[in-house]
Amino acid sequence: MDPESGQHRWRALLIWAIAVALAAPIVWLATRLLATPPRADSEAALSPSEIADTASRTNDIEVWSWNIAAASLKAVVPGFNRRYPNIDVFVNMTGANMQTRFFLSLCARTGGPDVMQFQNLEAPRYAASYRLTDLTEVGGKYREQFAPSFWKNCLVDGRLYAIPWDMGPCAVFYKKHIFDQYGIDPDAIETWDDYIEAGKHIVSESGGKTKMFHMPTSSDMARLFEMLLQQNGGQIFDDEGRIAVNSAQSLQVLRLIRKLLRSGIGSNVPFFSPEQLASFQNDTVATYPIAVWFGGTIRNSAPKTAGGWRVFRLPALEPGGPRVSNLGGSVLVIPDQCPKKPEAWAFVEYALCTKEGQLEQYRKFDLFPSLMSTFDDPFFDEPDPFYGGQKVRRLFATEIDKIPHLNRTRYWNEAYRYLGQALSAWADTDESPEDFLAGVEKRMKRRIGLELSPSSLSMKGNSP
Amino acid sequence: MKTRRGGQWKEIRRNAAFYFFISPFFVLFAVFGLYPLLFSLYLSFTKWDGLTELKWVGLSNVYTMLGDDILLTALWNTLVIGIMYVPPMLICAFLFALMLNSGWIKLRGLFRAAFFLPSVTPMVAIAVVFSLLYGVDSGFLNHLLTKAGLEKVPWLVSEDWSKASVALLLFWRWTGYNMLLMLAGLQGISDEYYEAATIDGAGTLQKMWHITLPLMRPIFTFCTIMSIIGTVYMFDEVFVLTRGGPGTSSTTFGLYLFNTSFSDYKFGYASCVAYAVAICVFIVSQAILRRARNKE
Repeated sequence: MDPESGQHRWRALLIWAIAVALAAPIVWLATRLLATPPRADSEAALSPSEIADTASRTNDIEVWSWNIAAASLKAVVPGFNRRYPNIDVFVNMTGANMQTRFFLSLCARTGGPDVMQFQNLEAPRYAASYRLTDLTEVGGKYREQFAPSFWKNCLVDGRLYAIPWDMGPCAVFYKKHIFDQYGIDPDAIETWDDYIEAGKHIVSESGGKTKMFHMPTSSDMARLFEMLLQQNGGQIFDDEGRIAVNSAQSLQVLRLIRKLLRSGIGSNVPFFSPEQLASFQNDTVATYPIAVWFGGTIRNSAPKTAGGWRVFRLPALEPGGPRVSNLGGSVLVIPDQCPKKPEAWAFVEYALCTKEGQLEQYRKFDLFPSLMSTFDDPFFDEPDPFYGGQKVRRLFATEIDKIPHLNRTRYWNEAYRYLGQALSAWADTDESPEDFLAGVEKRMKRRIGLELSPSSLSMKGNSP
Repeated sequence: MKTRRGGQWKEIRRNAAFYFFISPFFVLFAVFGLYPLLFSLYLSFTKWDGLTELKWVGLSNVYTMLGDDILLTALWNTLVIGIMYVPPMLICAFLFALMLNSGWIKLRGLFRAAFFLPSVTPMVAIAVVFSLLYGVDSGFLNHLLTKAGLEKVPWLVSEDWSKASVALLLFWRWTGYNMLLMLAGLQGISDEYYEAATIDGAGTLQKMWHITLPLMRPIFTFCTIMSIIGTVYMFDEVFVLTRGGPGTSSTTFGLYLFNTSFSDYKFGYASCVAYAVAICVFIVSQAILRRARNKE
């Protein structure tokens, strides 16, 4: 090694040392800022006295939302301004990275919107950080009016941090001409076993050209599992947030999924893939057991099929069992750092807790209301021409209050991913549902670091 | 010594204007490069979800990492995908570059643009096209296979095929980019070498073996290192095509990192893993560089 390069190396080292010495205080300062403990939640609760004079206030608020949801919120602004003429609502729908930007604004404790949209499965994580406004005192009075399963998702430790918006009650969309062609009576399909029999009939009569439904084993298996698990009242997390996936309900769901897989009535096409969107207009598949919002997807991608669709209620897991479940839905929240909480609450309250607010959004943008007091509106009994005059709105609203509640904690996304990964690997194997659940439970426990629920089948004395 | 240091300060002050002019880079680098680098090093020893209090956990992230089976799967998948597409891609890129560099090809500009186009096309558009190509029942590739009397292939929906499908897409996407780099390398080789070799009576193959390949070595090294780094941190291709599925069969390291940090909000752990893998990548690329340098 020549002396020149040795010297060069020392100089480089020196420069690095200086750079680190300069940057270290910045890092230290930043970590001090980040380590500031969050405010105690009781202080943050919005109280009725704070909102008493909202109507006389003049201010503007910013709402972050995207897609149809944003358009839908815009639609309620005129109605809102009749009550609060001096509050201007600006709905920001420049969707790119909105969630990341919101997250960063919470980290920085500044900036961000006054009202933010969330999918209902995302909300618990944010609520658990106590960076959202506690709405218990101003919003708690609406509890009875909302679908109970959905309301519970907005609570952390019994405090209310979000207001339910739209929800996704489930049923089965089907193509009438296929059912007519093969002589299937939708009213006779009461259980999933009936559904499988009807499917087998269609598949064999069509020579395999028409399948009963899309059952993508590569993805979306968790979605099917979630829908069925909520239908029979199972849980992934118990009320204390412990892992409760290893249960009799999960076993029942898995046995059904295996039966569906083995029956050969499913087609391995992922959800929202071009192949699935094309299937609306051809005869490759007869039904879609999924949530109410899927109707909007069909309407938008295949408007020409109007009139050819019908809906029947979700088949039960066992004769006489519940025929309701939920997939998806969203909520509105107010960040704790919002400086205009009374104005923000006034908007959230109007858009979500009033009949006119939620109905307007359902009428114009097909967002199915979670506010049950809207269900007595005549709109629910109007025949819908897209479904050949069937009163599908009433069908979806049936027994919504009976949908079992599914706990979602801050770890929902992670647990759900492990479940999905495990399910798609399991689909092609002969592993027993019992072993599968034990494995999934173990993985969740180890990776998320939570305790097992005492109800778990792997605990002593809980034999299946 | 003292006088010398004083002289240096004087020198610096005399050239203050120039330091000022080059300062934007250093300021930006300090804020957007150095600070995140150091902060994530610090995060590696903490547990932090971004919203609640940050906790110092020492080396516990390292222990977690050693027993992390999904990380292992992700690294394995990354390796397999890399082996499946990098060597054929570099070979094809070189062959295409040779062709475009030779005199007998017409419409060179058109071919060059056509080969390069995939690497600048937005990934979302590519994903739509490829999911149509890869469809099981009505996909174009399977249509061709059945026409040829072969079995349908479950491209994206089977654990056995998902890695190959991703590798095929990567091959298609990045061959043109590497070809362009190699083309530049080929054009940098002076004609005089070839003329001299021709006079000495060398044939085409001899010229290739004794002139082109040795002189292209730095370019090959560069392309290899860039491809390795690109593979380790590959994200968008997998994210839009398979989301890492079915199961974890196509979860690459880049996607794993994304899931851990932005889906599970485990920033401390994700930083720890990122640092560990970055160190490995650094060692591997140093080894390749050193080998290449020694050969020269």
